[in-house]
Amino acid sequence: MDLLKSMKISSSGLSANRKRIEAISSNIANAQTTRTAEGGPYRRKEVVFGSEPARDSFSEILEGEIDAQAQTVHATEVVSTNKAPVLKYDPTHPDANEEGYVAMPDVNVMKEMADMISAQRAYESNISAINTTKSMAMKALEIGRN
Amino acid sequence: MNVNDKTLKALAAAVKFREMRQEIISSNIANSETPGYKSKKLDFESALARALDVDGEMGMKVQEGKHYDVGSGGFDNLQPELYNDPNGVVSEDGNTVDREAEMAKMTENKIMYDALVQLMNKKMGLMKYAVQSER
Amino acid sequence: MSIQTFSQMQNTLKNYDVSNWSKSVEFGKKMDFGEGLEGVSPGESSSKTFGDFLLESVSQVNKMQQDADVAVQKLASGESQNLHETLLAVEKADIAFKTMNQIRSKVIDAYREIMKMQI
Repeated sequence: MDLLKSMKISSSGLSANRKRIEAISSNIANAQTTRTAEGGPYRRKEVVFGSEPARDSFSEILEGEIDAQAQTVHATEVVSTNKAPVLKYDPTHPDANEEGYVAMPDVNVMKEMADMISAQRAYESNISAINTTKSMAMKALEIGRN
Repeated sequence: MNVNDKTLKALAAAVKFREMRQEIISSNIANSETPGYKSKKLDFESALARALDVDGEMGMKVQEGKHYDVGSGGFDNLQPELYNDPNGVVSEDGNTVDREAEMAKMTENKIMYDALVQLMNKKMGLMKYAVQSER
Repeated sequence: MSIQTFSQMQNTLKNYDVSNWSKSVEFGKKMDFGEGLEGVSPGESSSKTFGDFLLESVSQVNKMQQDADVAVQKLASGESQNLHETLLAVEKADIAFKTMNQIRSKVIDAYREIMKMQI
């Protein structure tokens, strides 16, 4: 039971990091998008992580200690930033306003790449955790087999 | 060699606790980017050592040769300690998980888990051997 | 030697209870191998007999088992981090026990062989 709960927790980490990578990819792809359906330039997406207790873990042992239990994580929301878009001077751009400024998305591609690497590392750590949990469970099946 | 002897009980308890520890480590790793999440630790070593009382400091004295040593604390109510790690380095979003340290802990936990299962198998294998040898 | 002696010995070997064994004067008297080898009862000083060897060996095997147990308990509770030493100790105790078991089988075989002899 404990080991299966571990797998659920690790897989929640995988999902959350995958969503993060999706948001980062979307940001990078749309780094130059000045025209969107809602009007205005593309707004950078960010994923907010939240944790919640994995239910049924340790309940027999630690009744009442809610905040000291194993936690699953999930991407609670994907928010678009509300920051004012960056204005760039380019009169030749089709979307330039009267003064010649174009509103560009507030996306720093270098920062997004760094975030992507960090998300990838986190994803790999969760994979490693799942593999370890799986091997432990398989090992437990060997008890008494000889 | 008794089926209920201390060593087997200790091994079974240790295996269970290491599974719990794996759960906590998984939780730490999964939440290594969650703002405000505090890294957690599970300690069972002191509780188990007390129950085992290997050096006989706290145990009952066995007077008669036939009396079995049942151990001092008993293995029925072993409680591990689960708490927020006080040594965590707090990053700007309030998260205290050190992912690399958690990976190292996970590896160590796994190795010890494997060793404990193997020892359990060995002990039970020896008992089976003794029971089955026929003459 | 009588049949009862051997089944007694078999039982005591199975039960592994060395302290009882050594206290038994009856056992010492029954280990009568004839000329040259004498049964020993505690308190008598005499040259080493086969009985002595057996007793010593069994108690050594017992000690190895107990040492292995202690090592395993220390490993389980995290007191010791000596993985290889613990596994070695357990393996040694295993081999010692299995060897002793084989010796027991051989002794019983020898007894049966003797019993088959027509007088």
